[in-house]
Amino acid sequence: MSKLLDIQGLRVHFDTLDGPVEALHSVSLSVNEGEIMGVVGESGCGKSVTSLVTIGLATCDVDDGSITFDGDELIQKTPQETEKILSILKYFSSFFTLGLILSLFWTFLEPIQGLQISAVMLSAFSICFVSRRILDAPRSRHEKFMRSIRGNKISMIFQEPMTALNPLYTVEKQVAEVLRQHDKLDAAESSMGLRIGQALVYPATLLSNFVRSDMRAGLQLIGAFMFIFIVHQSGNTDTILDILTLPISLLIDVFGVLFLILDLIPSIASSSKNITYLIYVVEIIVAYSVISFIEWEFLPAVFRGDILSKTPKSLVWYLVILILLWIPFGVLMTIIGSIAILAIPPIQISGFLRLDPAHTRQVVEILNEVKIPNPESVVKMYPHELSGGMRQRVMIAMMMACEPKLLIADEPTTALDVTIQAQILKLMKDLRDREGTAIMMITHDLGVIAETCDTVTVMYAGRVVETASVTELFANPKHAYTRGLIACTPSLSSERKSILPAIPGQVANPSDFVEGCRFCQRMERTGETLLKIPDYKEISPGHWVEMCPICLDENEDRWE
Amino acid sequence: MSDQEEILIEAKNLKKYFPIKSGMFSSAKAHVRAVDGVDFTIKRGEVFGVVGESGCGKTTLGRLILRLIPITEGTIHYSGSNIQNMKNTELRRKMQIVFQDPGGSMNPRMSVRSIIGEPLIVNGLADGAELTKKVGELLEIVGLKSNHMTRFPHEFSGGQKQRIALARALSLDPEFILLDEPTSALDVSVQAQVLNLLQAIQKERSLTFVFIAHDLAVVRHISDRVAVMYLGKIVEMADADEIYNNPKHAYTKALISAIPKPDPSSVVDREVLSGDVPSPVNPPPGCAFGHRVNHPKYPDSIDLDLSLVEVEPNHWVQPCPCCTEI
Repeated sequence: MSKLLDIQGLRVHFDTLDGPVEALHSVSLSVNEGEIMGVVGESGCGKSVTSLVTIGLATCDVDDGSITFDGDELIQKTPQETEKILSILKYFSSFFTLGLILSLFWTFLEPIQGLQISAVMLSAFSICFVSRRILDAPRSRHEKFMRSIRGNKISMIFQEPMTALNPLYTVEKQVAEVLRQHDKLDAAESSMGLRIGQALVYPATLLSNFVRSDMRAGLQLIGAFMFIFIVHQSGNTDTILDILTLPISLLIDVFGVLFLILDLIPSIASSSKNITYLIYVVEIIVAYSVISFIEWEFLPAVFRGDILSKTPKSLVWYLVILILLWIPFGVLMTIIGSIAILAIPPIQISGFLRLDPAHTRQVVEILNEVKIPNPESVVKMYPHELSGGMRQRVMIAMMMACEPKLLIADEPTTALDVTIQAQILKLMKDLRDREGTAIMMITHDLGVIAETCDTVTVMYAGRVVETASVTELFANPKHAYTRGLIACTPSLSSERKSILPAIPGQVANPSDFVEGCRFCQRMERTGETLLKIPDYKEISPGHWVEMCPICLDENEDRWE
Repeated sequence: MSDQEEILIEAKNLKKYFPIKSGMFSSAKAHVRAVDGVDFTIKRGEVFGVVGESGCGKTTLGRLILRLIPITEGTIHYSGSNIQNMKNTELRRKMQIVFQDPGGSMNPRMSVRSIIGEPLIVNGLADGAELTKKVGELLEIVGLKSNHMTRFPHEFSGGQKQRIALARALSLDPEFILLDEPTSALDVSVQAQVLNLLQAIQKERSLTFVFIAHDLAVVRHISDRVAVMYLGKIVEMADADEIYNNPKHAYTKALISAIPKPDPSSVVDREVLSGDVPSPVNPPPGCAFGHRVNHPKYPDSIDLDLSLVEVEPNHWVQPCPCCTEI
């Protein structure tokens, strides 16, 4: 069997406020084609981080190591120098953006000089922008490549199916979206005109369905609309709106400025080193001083009418400045917000346009494969209408839609009951047998591992401590951590009410990890093992163990 | 032994229906029958396990015992007196609860000292330096250090939070503690630590526990007697060893066979129970589990009285023709 996924010496760190924290420390594991590989360990051992790095969704930085999937390298390393230049260019371009805005303002006072400065600023900004794009090209190409792999060749099932599914879309839409993204949808069969017609009628259908399903609430809604309509027709809206909005707008104005100032104080205090913060603060201070200048100097003048009566040009000035400065800092947000709200109906309708009976049949077929009863009605349902097991099945269906070669299941059954767990595990095994999909099963339940997996990797504190085939691991566990995990699971054959052999303590905080054997750290041992990284050796064919002499000694931790 | 035989909690024909309303002023359209006619007794000093899938009414049953929600029908007696007539202070001093989600059951703005000390202050049992001393003692009982009391819940891991929740429950020195899935959110190794702690405390203080969980291996490990619930009803109730070695009801058998065993050599192609628990709004008449598995004898159970019968000493089963072999 050839290796489908091969992770070698993966080393990643997270940048935190307390400096870099190493989450994975030379992780090496591999998944063969058509194999179910289990990754087991407690929370905080780096199981999920490994899977997220593989699929390219992690927010950490990869220091070292390689991930090969089906011959392709999934980790792309950007040279340190390029990273540095990119971050400097980022600061420069934000500086030139600010300069451009200020120089445009300057144009109104000194037209020629201002225009010259703004031209310089604009060209400098464009140079920054273009060079950033050029330097960043390999990375964006890699991003594109990862997008074509993700969900297509490698897909992932998450632990909590409710949070992984979008509550606003029907099952049909969510499953079809994966297929559309990877161009695997069947050709549409109904004509475009018909679907446009359906989309236009759709809101009316929703309304009539609502009224029909709940007559009283429907009538209340219609009554409210009628009231607003009558008020509009009789011309009372303006006075009502004035009374409603005036004091509120005043409050928002005053409190808005107050909150902004309060918000600024902590950011000033913590920003002495960081240039971006400084630019941000300068931006806000400049903007607010200009705005308050307008409010205290120009506005009374406008209201007194002396500017208006003397020169109409000054009014134009005022308006231009107002638009130039208020739009960037305040109104722009409102405009973006309103555009977003206005864009929702077209997006909804276009989403409706994309659905076609042929696509629905395709989705129904996929749901049928994961043994969802009555898939024709399930496709029209929203996630909240389904039970936990059904949601997890929909999730699996979605991930299996493109027939991936590797499926990463991150604690797929932890949130489910035992009976539903048995159903889901059986389903995943069947999928493997039928389609030959390799599965990487992440869990902390050794029962699940024993039931489903072919090989097992035990992780502890960002490192792989033991790898073996499942029969070998359970029959002949070598590392103290593996033995402890097996011993502490209550089983039906163990003696009732006995003291369970629990592993004391907990996984250390990643920032406190020692260089050497981390399980010895947890067991509060002292000595050489804490200082030197233990070798990772193959002791019998396919059985790899971290060779810490104390952890391998069966007399040391007996777990009784 | 006479101490063992004393009945602490006795529930008779306990029912809880939640109304489904469509608007603010409308009367209920239908009822969710969360707990639908349950009888059981809990002896003093025993651990009573309740298992079942989600949606079968385990948690509702626990909340009814503690009078956290009003009872629709039936009675619960706590050491002889009806809990409906007991005073709130009296009830809460004797009965405490540990919730499933340790993070969600604690106020993130309160320090551990005020979380554990709040019951003592409310009941006027301790204050000031005495409170600090008492909280320190409680923390040491549950295996934490007394200098942890100035910290806040977010500074602890899941297992430690569950220990704090247990210390809070123990603060009033209760006779009875309800444990609502205390280890479901924890890792196996931490689960083992918490289970050991629970057992030690139960033994030491001879407390009465009701242990609710969906993990049967855990329930078997800690319980003296186990009740299996399905769709608001108890379908089987017996001593822990008896129910696992000699299950009578088909649902109990299905639950036991669904436990993944940490032993790859014993993996057999077992029968996996299909489908979900049906909606408790319109439960099928007769034996609900027979209806789920489409048993050929299911129609015979529709008109029968399905209250529990004692088939062997201390082994109670729902006597339906489809799921039980008597």
